[in-house]
Amino acid sequence: MSQILKSLKVPPNSASLEEARTRTFEFFRMCCRSIPHVMEVYNLHDVVSPSQLRSAAAAEVRKNANVTNPKVIDMLLFKGMEELMNIVNQSKQRHHIVGQYVVGNQGLVQDVSGKDRDASNFLKKFYSSNYS
Amino acid sequence: MGLGLLASRALRSSRIIRNSTRTIVSTPELKNADAAAAAAAADAPSDLPKRNPVGGARVHLPNPEDVIEVFVDGYPVKIPKGMTVLQACEIAGVDIPRFCYHSRLSIAGNCRMCLVEVEKSPKPVASCAMPALPGMKIKTDTPIAKKAREGVMEFLLMNHPLDCPICDQGGECDLQDQSMAFGSDRGRFTEMKRSVVDKNLGPLVKTVMTRCIQCTRCVRFASEVAGVEDLGMLGRGSGEEIGTYVEKLMTSELSGNVIDICPVGALTSKPFAFKARNWELKGTESIDVTDAVGSNIRIDSRGPEVMRVVPRLNEDINEEWISDKTRFFYDGLKRQRLNDPMIRGADGRFQAVSWRDALAIVAEVMHQIKPEEIVGVAGKLSDAESMMALKDLLNKMGSNNIFCEGNGMRPNADLRSGYIMNTSISGLEKADAFLLVGTQPRVEAAMVNARIHKTVKATNAKVGYVGPAADFNYDHEHLGTDPQTLVEIAKGSHPFSSALKNAKNPAIIVGAGVFDRDDKDAIFAAVDTIAKNNNVMRPDWNGLNVLLLNAAQAAALDLGLVPESDKCIESAKFVYLMGADDVNLDKLPDDAFVVYQGHHGDRGVYRANVILPASAFTEKEGIYENTEGCAQITLPAVPTVGDARDDWKIVRALSEVAGVGLPYDSLGAIRSRIKTVAPNLLEVDERQPATFSTSLRPEVSQKVSATPFTPAVENFYMTDAITRASKIMAQCSALLKK
Repeated sequence: MSQILKSLKVPPNSASLEEARTRTFEFFRMCCRSIPHVMEVYNLHDVVSPSQLRSAAAAEVRKNANVTNPKVIDMLLFKGMEELMNIVNQSKQRHHIVGQYVVGNQGLVQDVSGKDRDASNFLKKFYSSNYS
Repeated sequence: MGLGLLASRALRSSRIIRNSTRTIVSTPELKNADAAAAAAAADAPSDLPKRNPVGGARVHLPNPEDVIEVFVDGYPVKIPKGMTVLQACEIAGVDIPRFCYHSRLSIAGNCRMCLVEVEKSPKPVASCAMPALPGMKIKTDTPIAKKAREGVMEFLLMNHPLDCPICDQGGECDLQDQSMAFGSDRGRFTEMKRSVVDKNLGPLVKTVMTRCIQCTRCVRFASEVAGVEDLGMLGRGSGEEIGTYVEKLMTSELSGNVIDICPVGALTSKPFAFKARNWELKGTESIDVTDAVGSNIRIDSRGPEVMRVVPRLNEDINEEWISDKTRFFYDGLKRQRLNDPMIRGADGRFQAVSWRDALAIVAEVMHQIKPEEIVGVAGKLSDAESMMALKDLLNKMGSNNIFCEGNGMRPNADLRSGYIMNTSISGLEKADAFLLVGTQPRVEAAMVNARIHKTVKATNAKVGYVGPAADFNYDHEHLGTDPQTLVEIAKGSHPFSSALKNAKNPAIIVGAGVFDRDDKDAIFAAVDTIAKNNNVMRPDWNGLNVLLLNAAQAAALDLGLVPESDKCIESAKFVYLMGADDVNLDKLPDDAFVVYQGHHGDRGVYRANVILPASAFTEKEGIYENTEGCAQITLPAVPTVGDARDDWKIVRALSEVAGVGLPYDSLGAIRSRIKTVAPNLLEVDERQPATFSTSLRPEVSQKVSATPFTPAVENFYMTDAITRASKIMAQCSALLKK
């Protein structure tokens, strides 16, 4: 897999939004194809399932759903590709993947108990930190 | 003229280049100062730009006839008669370099750094000691003045060690700055420098006497402001040194200020030695809470650590001094801190728990107890916001038993004039007779004592003192030790009553230690009678004062923290201590549940069942009202420790967990709540005088007892949780006991 990715080159700019769109799909597919390999090399089987990683990748793509400028999309694709290369080549370590894509943005401390559900915003902030 | 001399002359004229390298004066035109002066005079600027006084100062001209006009660098400036040349220059916007001159001390005129040229004067004059005369033409920027400064600088640096890289003053040193600005760029000094033996001034002030430039500021400060004749000048000429004559420590509560006034690194802070450089520090303008004066301070911090505390100028409160306790207690902020909520287990040991669990337990217990058995105690370091929140919480729970320690169990919060300093601290300077009742201002409020000392020194005001034998640093009459003396003064049969009667502006200061006495109403009634008989309260003068002890007291009384019953502690089943460590819990029933909310593991924690960690005053924003009724705000300088929270947030969170949610979520909201109770607390930095006088107090039938007054503060250096945790304060009080 990494051999294929190594041969990739920076493609020329997308001519239209349509072309950028197809490139985005292509990129996402490439991500999805590399997921089994990533699961293997980072030993993620006991913390996450492939479908969760896929949705994490999809969420990263959807984050920029409102971008319409093909040049910007190209740039974002380039950055995404760079990130993917880093992951596939194991330039990252396990905790990077776990931190960024498995635990995600919710933070490490997750309140699973339903005790604070009806608490006010103030109380929720109070429990988390003195500063907000 | 010998042949050798002739030969050397010939040699010198032939070697002009070598000759010029030996010149000390860095600017070549100074070599011939007179000629350059003549040249400068020729092209004097015709239209001068408007200049503003140094530091934005304003000139008060009390009497238009006593105004004279002088010219500073050709710029005319009007000044009152009696000002010195240096002050005139300051008003004209010219900052004259100086070492020995200090605006709050007497004039010494021994450093000679402030030399300026005055027209028609044969030589440069020392501007700090020279009175300005009408029509004087002062020149501060001429070659003669520059050369004079350069020369003085060279003499000063002759015996000053070149150890700036290891000197604590480095970066904030007057000598360093002025030698860069006015000194020469090379030295001619090749001999050995003088060295002086260091003096031991105690645990607070570090001395490196070799660095001393004999400006005598510290000597004058000690005798004029601190009122102790400990420091002095020994020897003459180059053997001159500052010292304490005999091996002796500086026994003053203001001794730390010599660190600030020392223009070089001779006197530096011992606890701060080699800890940080001043350019690494972040300054936060805040308020001191160790006594009721509310001295303005700047908290210098580096990262999460308070590195030092220095005074801030406030003419109405602390001028530019602070007490040693204020300056050096900060190391207590690093010790004995509470950082996690804790619950005492069955084995008597504390166990760290989450905030959620701690609050849940407190709320549960609170609901199981009858409302009248719930008691809240605000500590001496509490800010107004948290006291407001605590009072609201207890009221919502149905209890009205809340008080602030130090105010006694039957505080009189009805008349604001009955518990604040009506004269104001700066107003004390106008008084010409003092009657101190059961108060020792020197240990209770060092900055107020400094004002009284200043007044006594300036006007020879009479001071009468009723209370236990105490140490004063000014002349005083010890009238008696018990309240009976007050009754005698009130009747007019005491010798001191004539002194009060003859005084134009008599001031009576009652100590807050009286609040804890059983006969406090009778004492205040006697004081009121004295005030009435001696014209102490007039439309233009109110000399009846109460000197409070703690930072929280005035705000607590303003917010109405008055317990419903004075026996509430005896019958309490649930006690909420908000930083209260000095409240007497001996009579508390053994089965009472005690919650301690605070920042230090101090006395209150010993009895606590639950600990809720809170932030100290350096870590939060809070309103504090000082003893004269001036509200001021502290600002957070460092982050909170561990899992601690701000005081009012804890109370607010607890109220929600207990199901009696308080209606404020932010500091702004809680302040608008305070506005409905005590609007004066929001008039920050402005003294709010009391509206009604104490003459409205009801008649008292109580008789004064014969029990003598007791000292309100046993140990000046250790009065609250932070100072008790401080190592430096412990060292100081160990010396005090010796």
